[in-house]
Amino acid sequence: MLRRIANQLFWAARNLERAEGRARLVDVNYHLLIETPPRDTPEWEPLLAIFAEQELFSSHYTTADQRSMLSFFTLDLENPNSIRSCILLARENIRALRHYVSSEFWLALNTLYLETQEWTAGLFDSPGVYAFFCELRDSFYRISGIRQSTIPRDLAYDFMRLGIMIERAEDVSRMLDVKYHFLLPRLEDVGGPVDLLQWTAVLRSASALEAYRKRFGNAIRVDRLVEILLFDPTFPRSARYAIEQFEISMRRISVDSSVAVSKRVSDLLHDLRENRAAECIKSGLHEFLLGVQDSCKGIFKQIDDDYLKTQ
Amino acid sequence: MSVSEEGISMPVWSSYEHPEGLFDEMVDLSNSPRPVSADITKALLSMPPDKLGDLCNRADSMFRRMGVTFNVYSDRHGVEKILPFDPIPRVIDAETWAGLEAGLIQRVRALNEFLADIYGGGCIMKDGLVPRDLILGCPQFRCGAMGIRPPLGNFVTVAGIDLIRGPDGRFFVLEDNLRTPSGVSYVIENRVVMTRLMPDLMRACRVRSVESYPADLLQSLSEIAPSGKSNPTIAILTPGPLNSAFFEHVFLSLQMGVELVEGQDLVCVDDKLYMKTVQGLRQIDVLYRRIDDEFLDPMVFRRDSLLGVAGLTAVLRSGNAAVANAIGTGVADDKAVYAYTPIMIKYYLGEDHLLPIVETHLLRDPEVRETVLRNMDRYVIKPVGESGGYGVLIGPQATEKELSETHQQIVKHPENFVAQPVINLSVHPTLIAQGEGSVRLEPRHIDFRPFVLLGAKPRVLPGGLTRVALRHGSLVVNSSQGGGSKDTWVLGR
Repeated sequence: MLRRIANQLFWAARNLERAEGRARLVDVNYHLLIETPPRDTPEWEPLLAIFAEQELFSSHYTTADQRSMLSFFTLDLENPNSIRSCILLARENIRALRHYVSSEFWLALNTLYLETQEWTAGLFDSPGVYAFFCELRDSFYRISGIRQSTIPRDLAYDFMRLGIMIERAEDVSRMLDVKYHFLLPRLEDVGGPVDLLQWTAVLRSASALEAYRKRFGNAIRVDRLVEILLFDPTFPRSARYAIEQFEISMRRISVDSSVAVSKRVSDLLHDLRENRAAECIKSGLHEFLLGVQDSCKGIFKQIDDDYLKTQ
Repeated sequence: MSVSEEGISMPVWSSYEHPEGLFDEMVDLSNSPRPVSADITKALLSMPPDKLGDLCNRADSMFRRMGVTFNVYSDRHGVEKILPFDPIPRVIDAETWAGLEAGLIQRVRALNEFLADIYGGGCIMKDGLVPRDLILGCPQFRCGAMGIRPPLGNFVTVAGIDLIRGPDGRFFVLEDNLRTPSGVSYVIENRVVMTRLMPDLMRACRVRSVESYPADLLQSLSEIAPSGKSNPTIAILTPGPLNSAFFEHVFLSLQMGVELVEGQDLVCVDDKLYMKTVQGLRQIDVLYRRIDDEFLDPMVFRRDSLLGVAGLTAVLRSGNAAVANAIGTGVADDKAVYAYTPIMIKYYLGEDHLLPIVETHLLRDPEVRETVLRNMDRYVIKPVGESGGYGVLIGPQATEKELSETHQQIVKHPENFVAQPVINLSVHPTLIAQGEGSVRLEPRHIDFRPFVLLGAKPRVLPGGLTRVALRHGSLVVNSSQGGGSKDTWVLGR
């Protein structure tokens, strides 16, 4: 497979995963605010912090209200990471590579893209928001299902999976990092029943609430939440699960090459397998999450050099 | 039987008017069906008009679903377009085809010899049969290709020869396309659609298959691999998704099962050509390139080109790879060089030419220029360097302004132009939409582009692209300028 093709497949899948991740976060945040009493801190600040997009936002918008935020995260093509931008990029990448994926996959992606062309700010007139995100989530599930059930397990599939899984791992650690600090300004709150609603929302945005309850029951505790989002080997959106999947694809791709990537991946995997939430929180969750994010960046840089870049 | 008599109950045919002084491919002067296509004409006669309209709609939706599209450079709106398709097939009988096939092979062999000669010894110029300054001054002549001898001496691997039919029904060569001729994907996709639209009729007529073209192309490309290497690695070089023929590049790469590469995928190391794969560098033996010479190698041609790969010319010179078609083939399809093609056939093959060419006046000759400039409205004037129908002036249809503009250009650069008498292209009954789903059968001008492959031996695709000028009275059939296409049925014996 050509490096250029591998690169396009990787980024198409990564952008789709990014769009999906954002859709979840924006959706959950929106619905959270409905039930939360007004606070001193700006309500949408955490979301901008997760994506590190405060600067970009303030260069395009004057007021940070619900409408401008929804528009910025969802519709705005000036924001390269808005849901619409990510879908557009994914579609542009796949368009020239239809024959590397299945025609069903292309059709589903193109249909979603055509829908994004119809999006207007009017979607966010209050009763419409719920339906909008419901439908959007279904579109992502459809595309993901079609990808898994129609594309042969060849290099194309593996490069797409690399993109998805690295994005997922980075995303969950970033989200946890920001939420943790926004929601727990004081150390004595750790593990306490503070802001139950907010923590439930964090789980919900990762579709992890039900998985949490199955494993730990109804009481939401921060260490358990961290456990399920970072270290759970069975929950498909945990950082550990993502990196394990990444490693499987990596091994198939690099039958005879790139010791460096394997080393970085197995180091990260070791951290995610051997650590437990309680200890991590004790010795500094922020530092641990930063470490995960740095590892993800390092892994990406390495596969970019070894497999994707043409120059 | 007369079409109009037979078609009394068929408004589609009864209103069909055979234009004066033109060759109609389906009916003769007395409006009777020509024997070659009598069966097809009869079948169409017995078809109710609404069913004909239905054929058009079904064809259209099939092309849309299949995504058979081309890009138009100048059109900013809706860049992806479908080539309009007319479901009335153009029929060529076995005997006529045999004559065309022999003429096409002869022509391509001679053009290939000519290229080998001018980039080698230059005998035809030394012998004074073709003026040296005409060749050296030709915009498509590539100094950088001097002395490169491709494997088997094949400069041309794929040729698209444009033919037209004059008022007496004789085929003429209108022009040769020896650089990166396109359109073959439409030939194959048109056929796919037609086998769904008229399966019974096709079988009854014993229409020859066009399906083997990709396999034949792959075979021809394999045969020109350096030093006869078996199982060579072949790739297609495309300028990318914005190119007007990108669909065809993807189509051929899928059909042949070879990689479709862009310039950024390639690298030359130690006079060998490689593509960059995730498993490392992989050597390419034969590159079927669909980009022009000028963009192929920034070290030799245009320095600003990002489409090609630096060092390719040196690779070819070392004999470590072949490109198809070879660098510099454009000099042989130059519209001024065209005038010398009958001489070439005699010179290299010792044969008389089988396919006539259109009488061509080179305006670099002052006397000729004088005559043409006085009677511009009687000629078709063509710039020598262009392709795709751009810049062609059709004298009788041109406005005063267009005539005077071309006049000025000729005076400024006479060597850039040739003049030909206006040849009225043959016409073919074509379904023209009348709105509200109804169609009408009207004569429209057509031409024909058959495809010739040259590997260890020549192979001619039994069929070709019949292009049709859909605008009433128009002689311009190019897809970039409002043309459409028809399926071409070459009948078996």
